[in-house]
Amino acid sequence: MTINVKHSLVVAFPLIAALAFSIYIVQHQIAGYKGIEKKIEEFVTLPKGEYLKPAVFGYDQLVADIIWLRAIQVIGDKVVTPKGYEWVYHAMDVVTTLDPKFAYAYQFGGVTLSELGNRPDMSNMLLEKGLKENPEVWQIPFYLGFNNFFHLHNYEKAAKYMSIASELPGHPEYLPKLASRLYVQAGNPDIALEFLINMYKETDDEKVKESLEKRIKEVIIERDAIYLERGVAKYKEVYKDSPENLQDLVRMGIIKDIPPEPFGGYYYFDQSTNKVYSSVIRDRMHVYGK
Amino acid sequence: MNMEDIVIKIENLTKVFKKGFRGKSVAAIKGLNLEVNEGEIFGFLGPNGAGKTTTIKILMGLIYPTTGKAWILNKEATDVEVKNRIGFLPEQPYFYDYLTSREFLRFYGQLFGLEGDELRTRMNNLLTLVGLEDAADLQLHKFSKGMLQRIGIAQALINRPDLIVLDEPMSGLDPIGRKEIRDIILRLKEDGKTVFFSTHIIPDVEMICDRVGILMKGELVNVGRLDEIMDAKVKYVEIIARNVSKEMLAYMEAMGSSVYETWEHVSIKVEDENRVDGILQLIKEGKGRVVSVIPQRETLEEHFIKKIGGAS
Amino acid sequence: MKVLTIARNTFREAIRDRILYNLLFFALLMIAVSLLLATLTVGEQSKIIIDIGLASINIFGALIAIFLGIGLIIKEIEKRTIYNILSKPVPRYQFIIGKYLGLLITIMVNIIIMGAGLYLILIINELRWGHDIFNVNLDIWLDIWKAIYLIFIELMVVTAIALMFSTFSSSSTLSAIFTIAAYIIGHLTEELRLIGNKLPDSFMKSTINFFYYFLPNLDNFNVKGKVVHGIYVSASYISLVTLYGLLYISVVLLLSGVIFQRRDFK
Ligand SMILES: Nc1ncnc2c1ncn2[C@@H]1O[C@H](COP(=O)(O)OP(=O)(O)O)[C@@H](O)[C@H]1O
Ligand SMILES: [Mg+2]
Repeated sequence: MTINVKHSLVVAFPLIAALAFSIYIVQHQIAGYKGIEKKIEEFVTLPKGEYLKPAVFGYDQLVADIIWLRAIQVIGDKVVTPKGYEWVYHAMDVVTTLDPKFAYAYQFGGVTLSELGNRPDMSNMLLEKGLKENPEVWQIPFYLGFNNFFHLHNYEKAAKYMSIASELPGHPEYLPKLASRLYVQAGNPDIALEFLINMYKETDDEKVKESLEKRIKEVIIERDAIYLERGVAKYKEVYKDSPENLQDLVRMGIIKDIPPEPFGGYYYFDQSTNKVYSSVIRDRMHVYGK
Repeated sequence: MNMEDIVIKIENLTKVFKKGFRGKSVAAIKGLNLEVNEGEIFGFLGPNGAGKTTTIKILMGLIYPTTGKAWILNKEATDVEVKNRIGFLPEQPYFYDYLTSREFLRFYGQLFGLEGDELRTRMNNLLTLVGLEDAADLQLHKFSKGMLQRIGIAQALINRPDLIVLDEPMSGLDPIGRKEIRDIILRLKEDGKTVFFSTHIIPDVEMICDRVGILMKGELVNVGRLDEIMDAKVKYVEIIARNVSKEMLAYMEAMGSSVYETWEHVSIKVEDENRVDGILQLIKEGKGRVVSVIPQRETLEEHFIKKIGGAS
Repeated sequence: MKVLTIARNTFREAIRDRILYNLLFFALLMIAVSLLLATLTVGEQSKIIIDIGLASINIFGALIAIFLGIGLIIKEIEKRTIYNILSKPVPRYQFIIGKYLGLLITIMVNIIIMGAGLYLILIINELRWGHDIFNVNLDIWLDIWKAIYLIFIELMVVTAIALMFSTFSSSSTLSAIFTIAAYIIGHLTEELRLIGNKLPDSFMKSTINFFYYFLPNLDNFNVKGKVVHGIYVSASYISLVTLYGLLYISVVLLLSGVIFQRRDFK
């Protein structure tokens, strides 16, 4: 048997191609195994930032970037379990310990934990750490204000954070006005709406945007419901009787028309509770009504 | 001469090396044609850089020719199977020096698929042949240059090859070492083997080679019996003697010999061979002592210079 | 048979190499030092020991694979011992496979020694705290072997890569740099998928996916963290990544063979 240069190539090429294809298939399978839940679980194995820092030989930022890339991927992928969000917090905490000036990590972590994970407590912890390390970034107190307003209903604190944000360089124009209005009329759905719409503008994460959009519609429902309930009250005052339905208000000229329900449903008046509801979202937010 | 008898056949062989990344090309050998017959000792003679090692590496399939082809025992040189019938000693060989002679020979024997008693017998025979029985269990890094060369030849013979290729087997050895290698080569010839070896020193070839090929700057300038190729004629005879009287030296000079005196000896160059006896007679009569009489022939260097001179 | 002869000789050469003992010494030292570090923490001493132990086995194993792997091929060429082997009836690809097997045996022996060291330290740790040796978390102790096994598969891939680089370079420094770079990139390959997934369909995405699938993905073999935290690593995952490793090694060795076959030994 003669093994020469040409033979080796002729034999090797198809073999290499076949093997490369198999590698592709197998790697694809492995990627399936490593799926989303497993990826989040990996954050468990991440040591605390304080322990990691000495072990990365000064490549703090680089390691932070790598963990960051992993984390945002996991969060962006699929449904994350409640436990998963604790690991997301852990990952973000490690990233920001390694690279404390990585302001976007606080923002991203903050908004993800509160808006998607429904964990404003962890969100606030991360953001407050961020505020200490990056006192010049207006988004961080802005998000803190948001958390306090919407999730913790601590309007005073919310207003305080917003005024901090509105004094920082680069803040958007509407911020000072929003902050001052928060102080005086914290329970007004219009303010909430304004806040939410601005928050929506500040975010570029699709999932968070989706969540905010839903929240905006809910606040619109709340605002419309309050408006319609005022109409009902006026109807009662004038006619000394409860209206049959909301159309009565329009017919009697008390309101010009019934606003459209943002989810595409309709509003109705429930005589038994004396309240207005959306056909889509049955629960009312009890926060803003006064 | 029939095909069977041709052990090495080289046809129009050229090898171009590229030096550096995009450096200039160097043709180490150019259009080489050569045949080596069965049973002969062939000396591949040429100064340093002539292309001997390059040719041998192509024969051994270590490098690929740019153009041309080489056959060994009627098979292409790149054929792995043909190596079963070849023994090879590289130029300035380095071996795994953490091995003992025995481990070393066993390793190469196993590469030929040898094992057991057969391998052991061959190892012992070879250690005897190259005179290293006493160093059988010594690690190679404790070996002298001559011992390394001899164990190198032993490994080249472990497969009882029909053709033995040795690249500069005698370089760097003292006269005794060279003689030992020459004796081994002659013994191989007696066993009917073909030996092809390279060297840049004429005396290495003139004593043992059946034929030589002379390589210069990558081109084969001559092939044949050494005495056919070169001026085998003695150029002059150098007589070294002691206690030769001034008068006698003057006489010799007058007769056409050149004389050099050192502190103790005199050196007399006699150009005409026929006059040597007469001069030796004279020295003896004058109570002088003859130390040595050495016929001086053309050196390879002189031959090369003459060739180059003739070519230009 | 010839392959085995070369493998055996490679192993013999490797275990006479001083680099090997230095690296092995430091690895065992690290594992031993973990015992001291473990005393500094409260609880979970064995976790720290396992963490440090597995990391040491991985890092020093990789160093052995890279430096010994490269050294043993380049030395053959530099010292020209390869002339003598390739002038025997040994096809060049067999030389490659023989060298590779020899290196694997060396690495396996070293990993077993380091793994045994880790177990020894773990036992000492348990005894020191007066624990009942037969009452430890046996699952984790047994799972350590899963991690070590996959470290070995990873090192098989790294060794193959080191071998490939040394088949076309004649400088060991350059080969070492290439291999270390490949090792680091191999651990970042997983990020490529993450980036690729985020991108819209584009040329960029295809390119990134191409690299994701065909660069060595060494993260596949990393289950150290899972093992330490008692997260179950399934047998099917282990088989799958083993298959991945073997396929990858085959390609790399084939390429090395092709390169080696074409190479002039100057
Ligand atoms: N690997 C190489 N790269 C570049 N040039 C080379 C190489 N090997 C040999 N040469 C050149 O080829 C010529 C012949 O070298 P070589 O065959 O070793 O000669 P010799 O063995 O007769 O001394 C020399 O000029 C040498 O410089
Ligand atoms: Mg030479």
